[in-house]
Amino acid sequence: MKVLGLSAVDQTRLLRICILGLISVVAIGSRLYSVLRFESVIHEFDPWFNYRTTKYLVQHGFEKFWNWFDESAWYPLGRVVGGTLYPGIMVTSAAIYNALHALNIPVDIRNVCVFLAPGFSALTAIATYQLGKEVKNETAGLLAAAFMGVAPGYISRSVAGSYDNEGIAIFLLVLTFWLWLRAVRVGSAMSAAVCALSYFYMVSAWGGYVFIINLVPLHVCVLLAMGRFSNRLYVAYSTFYALGTLASMQIPFVGFQPTFTSEHMAALGAFGLIQVVAAAYYVRARVTAVQFRAFVGCAVVLVAALGACVLVVLTMRGAVAPWTGRFYSLWDTAYAKVHIPIIASVSEHQPTAWPNFFFDLNVLIWLFPAGIYFSFRELSDNHVFLILYSVFAAYFAGVMVRLILTLTPIVCVLAGVAVANVFEAYLSRGSSGPGVAQVPRAAVIGAVLFLLCSFQWHSSWITSTAYSSPSVVLASRGPDGSHHIIDDFREAYYWLRRNTEPHERVLSWWDYGYQLAGMADRPTLVDNNTWNNTHIATVGRIMASDEDTAYELARRHDVDYVLVVFGAMLGYSGDDINKFLWMIRIAQGVYPNDVREQDFFNAAGEYAIGDTASKAMRESLLHKLCYYRFGEVMGAQAFDRVRKQRLPSSVSLHNFEEAYTTENWMVRIYRVKGLDNFGRSHHEAAKFDST
Amino acid sequence: MKLNWQVFATLLFVALAFSGTTDAVDGGLINTNAIRTIDLRSLPAVTEQVGVVVQNSHDSKAAKTYSVYIPHAKADRLAKVTVHERKSGAELQVSKMDNEHLGNILPPQPIEYRATLLQPLQPGEKISLNIDSVYLNTVEPRPKVVEQTGDQTWLWKDDACILSAYPINKEKTVVRTNGEIKAYSQIKESSKDGKSVTFGPFINGPSPNGPVEVRFRDNREQLEALTHRREYFVSHWANDLNILEHYALRNRAPALEAFDKVKQTMSRFMKARDNFVKTLLVKVPADARDMYVVDEIGNVSTSAVTRRQRLDGDAFKVMQLKPRYPLAGQWNYTWWHGYSVPLSNYLRVNHNRHALRVPFIGSIVGSASQKEEIPLTAINTHNTAVNAYELRITLPEGATNVDVRVPFNVDSIRQLPQSYYFDSSGRTVVVIEHANVAPSAVDAHVLVTYDYSVLSLWQKPLVIAMVVFALFALTSLCSRMQLGLAAAKPATTATKKTQ
Repeated sequence: MKVLGLSAVDQTRLLRICILGLISVVAIGSRLYSVLRFESVIHEFDPWFNYRTTKYLVQHGFEKFWNWFDESAWYPLGRVVGGTLYPGIMVTSAAIYNALHALNIPVDIRNVCVFLAPGFSALTAIATYQLGKEVKNETAGLLAAAFMGVAPGYISRSVAGSYDNEGIAIFLLVLTFWLWLRAVRVGSAMSAAVCALSYFYMVSAWGGYVFIINLVPLHVCVLLAMGRFSNRLYVAYSTFYALGTLASMQIPFVGFQPTFTSEHMAALGAFGLIQVVAAAYYVRARVTAVQFRAFVGCAVVLVAALGACVLVVLTMRGAVAPWTGRFYSLWDTAYAKVHIPIIASVSEHQPTAWPNFFFDLNVLIWLFPAGIYFSFRELSDNHVFLILYSVFAAYFAGVMVRLILTLTPIVCVLAGVAVANVFEAYLSRGSSGPGVAQVPRAAVIGAVLFLLCSFQWHSSWITSTAYSSPSVVLASRGPDGSHHIIDDFREAYYWLRRNTEPHERVLSWWDYGYQLAGMADRPTLVDNNTWNNTHIATVGRIMASDEDTAYELARRHDVDYVLVVFGAMLGYSGDDINKFLWMIRIAQGVYPNDVREQDFFNAAGEYAIGDTASKAMRESLLHKLCYYRFGEVMGAQAFDRVRKQRLPSSVSLHNFEEAYTTENWMVRIYRVKGLDNFGRSHHEAAKFDST
Repeated sequence: MKLNWQVFATLLFVALAFSGTTDAVDGGLINTNAIRTIDLRSLPAVTEQVGVVVQNSHDSKAAKTYSVYIPHAKADRLAKVTVHERKSGAELQVSKMDNEHLGNILPPQPIEYRATLLQPLQPGEKISLNIDSVYLNTVEPRPKVVEQTGDQTWLWKDDACILSAYPINKEKTVVRTNGEIKAYSQIKESSKDGKSVTFGPFINGPSPNGPVEVRFRDNREQLEALTHRREYFVSHWANDLNILEHYALRNRAPALEAFDKVKQTMSRFMKARDNFVKTLLVKVPADARDMYVVDEIGNVSTSAVTRRQRLDGDAFKVMQLKPRYPLAGQWNYTWWHGYSVPLSNYLRVNHNRHALRVPFIGSIVGSASQKEEIPLTAINTHNTAVNAYELRITLPEGATNVDVRVPFNVDSIRQLPQSYYFDSSGRTVVVIEHANVAPSAVDAHVLVTYDYSVLSLWQKPLVIAMVVFALFALTSLCSRMQLGLAAAKPATTATKKTQ
């Protein structure tokens, strides 16, 4: 039947394009809650760094960006920015920005950055469609795309304003995997080269590329172990590995790592292995079975022994770098807490609690095993890959909360496969029967549709309630339902930006480093890059020391202002007092003689802040900066709304003076006093002034 | 002796320099009487009015012009000079004389403004002139640092004698303030009367020529806009005149001794006075819509706009902007805000000739009031001085023969090419720059006339339509071309599967 003069095939094609278009619209639309609720603003912490570097790239050009040494970060050490970041997201934004400006559209770079992740989520949906199509058919592809478009596990990292590497990296991850499966199927050097290109983009965008460069070789090895060697696989992997590795080494931050770090050794090994296997197949075609058996036996022992020796020697000599701490923490979840508190202190590095899976994936989480089952049922090369991806992504997602993100694409694809199978079984035309026989079919289809609708509903609800807060701007509701914006962070940052000298250094805990650089535009001592543990520990030690030691240290580090975040007035629980134990632990790791965690608990073993607090706690700089004069405005019987404890009755402070405190006392900024004109200590000066 | 020689040499040089030019000051005039009134009641603008009686004492030559000297030290704070004939009230034409040719001689020379008299002043005749000049930010806070809720004391300081191109027989200076006089220079001829101080009269020249000063209390807000840029975007399609104003503002009040959050919270609670400027009031037209306030790091969400108001027959709305932080003395705040008004209210069309008449500058008023609702009358107090002003008027694409009229002299008027939103041929931006804007400029209008044809109106849609069409044509062409050597295979939709 012809509609609009189109044949049935063209009609379905048009329909598919329309559906994909609608999925894209939904994917983008559902990520705009944060802009509607709040405004077009960069969220959280890391995005502020990406935004700042993008601005730099747009203003100064690529050459300068590549060689940028940022002396305002990590004072006085500075940071080689060009060589310590994944430039993919900045280059993407700058390209879009320049293209729009070439068309005389004067768009602000901030808006490009804010809307980049939603835009790429539409592309991710399309890439997921292709992946689903590759492993099953168009129906599975469309379902997978629809799931991917709204899955909260992915939305959590790609709402408007969440300008982070993951925003484009998930698209590239899915794209690379699709291109890989396609390359394996087609077996042409061309398609493998396209895959390598996509891998290069991925390497430039996110450190998570390591997942690809381990999963693809694993796929190859498993296929070899299953005896599924083929020339297509050989061509695909050899081309992909050679081109992909060379391309990835062009990113300065990656550099020569693919040749010596453990994370990349699997890929190199698989590359060697596939050469050996290919050689074996070549030999087998030309010799007798007996000769071949002997040949294989010798070769395997020889190659294995040689390979192991080389690896051991290289590792012992340090040529092959041992696994980094973050990777150890992937195997042993308790490792980080003991050895690297700085990794454990980040909430997104915590092991996942099981409700998180349901929260982020909802219905998909039980469609996922069904999809794996269907993959096993017809075990093609593609399906082997899907199974491997599921197993590993599921494990990693269980270890670290943020890695639910890498699990989401495979869950969507397999759920798509599962639902497509259900539809296939219950909607096929051949099984039309009498009316009564249709009832179970209708019931099943109805139930599945209900599940899908409830998934969509759940996703929108989660997105709007949980994932659309910029965290820079907070909102609260009054008792009458009115909407209040709490904007203390920006109030403080803007005050610093306008009313301090551009060279003046601000000390704060590392969480606020990127925001300070981005919004206040002032040099900081430590930031979210966390590359120098000693420097962070020094800041922790300043916060944990008594006033005089802290003053001494602060002056030695040329600190002009100290910024603390304090939630006791509003009940904002993410404040510095609650983070204090991590500061102490990190400081203790480097200065075990000066800072001891035990000292900050009182005799009863409580983490108290009021008059019952331990001596070290009461005398620590952070405690003083937070509670200085707070009691005077709250009254004598006042409580700390976060810790539900009585406030300390008196807090003295002489070496630092209040420079600014925001409306709700959430951010307090103190100036480090200069030396006294008469050479007295500030305590003596204060005593003299008061008499 | 050596010093005197230097002075003499300089004077000689100056005299030579002056005589070397053809347009020397008209000689022979004498100010028989001069009264200078300095009005410090609408700070940060300082209004000086000098009333002089001028006599031509020359034997034969009639004087055509009268020169006004502005002291070099105050020259870069000068906003405006006008000269009126007192009897008729007629304004005289005043032009600034170029003294660049004098070079960097010391002491720095005064800036000369020359008023052309309506009729030449014949020998022996007298005429009365009023010289009005407005200066910005010449009064400084003393002490520079006060407590958060302390009184603001200001210092006015100037020469006791009036600087003039001609000898002055008799003169006196009256300084009027708005608050309690805390101190003033005790010289023989000085006296205080309530809120004003008089220096003089001095007979025959400067017996005590030196600076005199007055210290007075004035707790009203004073702000200065270090830079202010107002932009107009004209859109004929949307019948929309978009207005965007960028400000870099500073509170001129004395700096804080120490920031005290507890005290600030308490005075807000008690509705007690402090020196923080908390609200900025911007008067916008009654039909303004789509208002927003933004600074470099995002929305400023604490602002409000009043309903349509009416004051002295003038309908308007007031934007009440709350800066991110209250502005203490010497604190800075930078932001921009914008809104739209219907273009038809500002544009007159005569065939192809369009005349756009828009306000030269908008006003902004800082308020330290603790009240939520600021009284309406506050909107007409001018307490913000604009130091560097830039006005940009972006005309629609295709506007030609642009002509710009401003009712007073401005520092520069330029026309720049600019491209926005799919422009194909670009558009003209009129850029007017002016330093030290006098408060009276709030009532002035700029008139921009330009030619704009119907074809220009359709230029953009046509260009876009053509580009889109070209893209479609290109795509269509590409999809029909066969670039490979082999015949195209039928598209396989089903995935290959190994069974």
